[in-house]
Amino acid sequence: MATFLLEVGTEELPASFVGEALEQWRSSVPMSLSDRHLTTEAIDYYGTPRRLAVVIAGLPTQQPDQDEEIKGPPAQAAFQNGQPTKAAIGFAQKQGVPLEALEIRPTDKGEFVFVRRTIAGRPVAEILSGLVPQWITGLEGKRFARWGDGELKFSRPIRWLVALLDDQILPVTLHNGSVTLTSDRISQGHRVLHPQPVSIAHAADYDTTLRNAYVEVDPSQRRSQIQHQTTAAAESIQGWAVVSPSLLAEVTNLVEYPTAIVGKFDPEFLTLPPEVVTTEMESHQRYFPVLKSEGSTELLPYFITISNGDPAKSAIIAAGNERVIRARLADGRFFYDADRLVPLATYVDRLESVTFQADLGSVRAKVDRLGKIAGQIATQLHLSETEQTYIQRAALLCKADLVTQMVGEFPELQGVMGQKYALASGEPEAVATAIVEHYLPKGAGDHLPQSLIGQVVGLADRLDTLVSIFSLGMLPTGSSDPFALRRAANAVLNITWTADLALNLHQLLHLVWADVAKTRTVEASLIAALHDFFLQRLRSLLQDDRAIDYDLVNAVLGENDPEYAERALYDLRDVRDRALFLQTLRNNGTLATLYETVNRATRLAAQGTLDTQHLDSNLIRPDLFQQPSEQALYEALVHLAPQTQAAQATRDYQKLVTALAQIAPTVSRFFDGDDSVLVMDSDPDVRQNRLNLLGLLRNHARVLADFGAIVKG
Amino acid sequence: MNFQAVIATLHQFWGTYGCLIAQPYDIEKGAGTKSPHTFLRAIGPEPWRVAYVEPCRRPTDGRYGENPNRVQHYYQYQVLIKPSPDNIQEIYLDSLRALGVQPEDHDIRFVEDNWEDAAVGAWGVGWEVWLDGMEVTQFTYFQQCGGLDCHPVSIEITYGLERLTMYLQGVNSIFDLGWTDEVTYGDVHLQGEIENSTYNFEASDPETLFTLFKLYEQEAGRLLERALVLPAFEQILKCSHTFNLLDARGVISVTERTRYIGRVRSMARQVAQLYLKQREAMGFPLLKGEHGNAA
Repeated sequence: MATFLLEVGTEELPASFVGEALEQWRSSVPMSLSDRHLTTEAIDYYGTPRRLAVVIAGLPTQQPDQDEEIKGPPAQAAFQNGQPTKAAIGFAQKQGVPLEALEIRPTDKGEFVFVRRTIAGRPVAEILSGLVPQWITGLEGKRFARWGDGELKFSRPIRWLVALLDDQILPVTLHNGSVTLTSDRISQGHRVLHPQPVSIAHAADYDTTLRNAYVEVDPSQRRSQIQHQTTAAAESIQGWAVVSPSLLAEVTNLVEYPTAIVGKFDPEFLTLPPEVVTTEMESHQRYFPVLKSEGSTELLPYFITISNGDPAKSAIIAAGNERVIRARLADGRFFYDADRLVPLATYVDRLESVTFQADLGSVRAKVDRLGKIAGQIATQLHLSETEQTYIQRAALLCKADLVTQMVGEFPELQGVMGQKYALASGEPEAVATAIVEHYLPKGAGDHLPQSLIGQVVGLADRLDTLVSIFSLGMLPTGSSDPFALRRAANAVLNITWTADLALNLHQLLHLVWADVAKTRTVEASLIAALHDFFLQRLRSLLQDDRAIDYDLVNAVLGENDPEYAERALYDLRDVRDRALFLQTLRNNGTLATLYETVNRATRLAAQGTLDTQHLDSNLIRPDLFQQPSEQALYEALVHLAPQTQAAQATRDYQKLVTALAQIAPTVSRFFDGDDSVLVMDSDPDVRQNRLNLLGLLRNHARVLADFGAIVKG
Repeated sequence: MNFQAVIATLHQFWGTYGCLIAQPYDIEKGAGTKSPHTFLRAIGPEPWRVAYVEPCRRPTDGRYGENPNRVQHYYQYQVLIKPSPDNIQEIYLDSLRALGVQPEDHDIRFVEDNWEDAAVGAWGVGWEVWLDGMEVTQFTYFQQCGGLDCHPVSIEITYGLERLTMYLQGVNSIFDLGWTDEVTYGDVHLQGEIENSTYNFEASDPETLFTLFKLYEQEAGRLLERALVLPAFEQILKCSHTFNLLDARGVISVTERTRYIGRVRSMARQVAQLYLKQREAMGFPLLKGEHGNAA
């Protein structure tokens, strides 16, 4: 059994690439080994900013021999009268075996000639020499680059290669222009703590040898060291460190030998908005902020940085970092003070200079559009005058902070600064809250806006983006969604649902579209594409987030039934409730019974002429009844009507389902009872009257769903 | 170490390494990359090693001398080496040693930072170098310039001279930097910052600037037609700076903005191609020497 080590030494890799590269190796390395019939006992993947490595333990030294069977010509063609023909001779020659080695064996298609051969396994060293360059050049990532005078592309320049099979150097070469990298046993230690090259004696010694050279090659080790050191460092100042998982992951791949260092700053800076202080620390300096205690929102005037330097020099390093954060916080203080010299509203006109999209003009123009849309939503929702006033104000101001110095410097503070500056400018609290909330949710699983004003402005902002971009024909495709339209549409649905808004999206889209069409020519088919887009989003949220069966989603969105599609957009809450309710019915078994009753009626009703929207029983003619079962069904339908109306009005479809379940026996009697009728009577009037009865039943059921789309069982 | 000593030390260091010590280029520009010593020389197969100080102007960064870290005029120390040497990071660390910064005493980090200047069709990958958390240098492996693939690849090292010297001197305001032991950076540049901020944001005449842009653009076009590489390039630089001045005035509307950048980019591409063709016609004279500037 042998152990193999590959280390690719590089200049500092982007932190995110280290993880991505190891992830790719996790799938590609075992696969390429098993493709070559090589078994292993364990594979470890290591990475730091300056190296990617893999250690494979338990490899055979020799690839096992493989039995191979090659099918030749049919036996009839190969042998005649027991004598080999040209076909047999040619086949044996081609395979390099004597004629005696040919075997005849039956197959599904008759007897054939076969050659059985043993392919001798190759030395593992030889196989690995060939594989390793593919493992390296097979890695993919963003923004790969060339260097020197070569054509090789990698995340950052590759500077050395270590390849050892046990204690022997495994020859591997990579060519890059005039430079040829050849594998060796010489690695590099930590840049300053171990500047001398490191010789690795045996592949199995890799991690310990590097650890002695002040390089912790195992990312999970580094991560837990950072975690522990940071916790301890925070405790040393009676605080609690904020360690966000994404920052921890990044910092882990920015260092080879982590040391947590505490730095402090002037407590005066704590009068800045905490978001500003935290953003400076986390996004710009990759520091961990420190809170007074777990769960507290109060920052302490300290930070924790993870140094890659000599622990003995921590005091110098802390002092240097303290100067940097001081300068940055002073910058923040400068921006904060300068931005507040004028009211937030002053910035609105400067949005003229910020592009929203080349063909759609500036963010200033967007603000005007979204203000109008917010007004349309407010009208639809019958909001009060005060609410409408707040909405208009928030809509006007919601993007103003984009041109403040603070947001120019820290784009991630958009909305947050708008809220602060709005309050500082004496804007109403509701307006300020809406400014920060209108960006919510920022992604899947994020908080939703809590205030009505924030919800309306957030909806308006997204509807403007969706309609505007769609009107240019820039529909998202596959993986390309540069304006995050899917996320925007999901947000529209989730906000409406969670806030329980009686939003008529169908009407709203048409109003907004009509306004766009006034300003320039737009292709009419694109509004239909936008409808479809929303229906797709509805489908995806219902199926994926709400776990509703696909056929039940079809039943409420209508498969090729525009009536349902339109209705879904009239009231988003209603479509959601009906879908959830159908799933409940399926889970408790009610659906199966309903299905029989409704579908039998529906199939026959299709031969009639009754409009699918018609719910009133007034067109039934009792004078044409021939059997009491008809009268019974008629009466049941008359009683059903108020239940259906009530169900629709309150979105309490249990009422409808209970009523439908109650008339099921009446329907059975109509079809199969002692006084059953033949629907397709020869008298056209009688026939139509019976079809109308069934049509009515179908139409009542349609208020809940298109039962035809439901898959039985 | 005072400001001019930092420059002298870097000249000494990179000169000894084998770089041509060039002088600042006498046209306003936003970054040292836009000097022809970098922008043009990064194109084509000829080796090149150069180091120079480049004054940079970013009109929108003016703060009337009130912000201790931000100014509309500052200096970059720019190094460009083609092809990029294998041990360039070590050489760079040696340059810090020359400045009195022992890497052993500090936390020096190469943190991913890729560079792109769409207006001149250029991009590269690299890092910002952190010295105890402070960004002091930008490192870039040039991949494209003027829309042309760089082959071989140049490495560009850009030191933020003020930032670095502030670190060395332990001062918190750019204006407190000692240029010499007697004269501060503020003595030299504060009044200019105030006046130029006023000019950039208030006193410049947009009409004149629009006219100038048009004239420079016409001139560049005319010179491109006559295949006069450097004169055309200079007019493009003037276009670019005039655009930045217009931008600072906030008078470029959104749609115009994209168009203006597109116009500059198209000229930058033309001049890059013209330069390459010209060098090719000359037989790439610098290819003869083993080292960049030996010929």
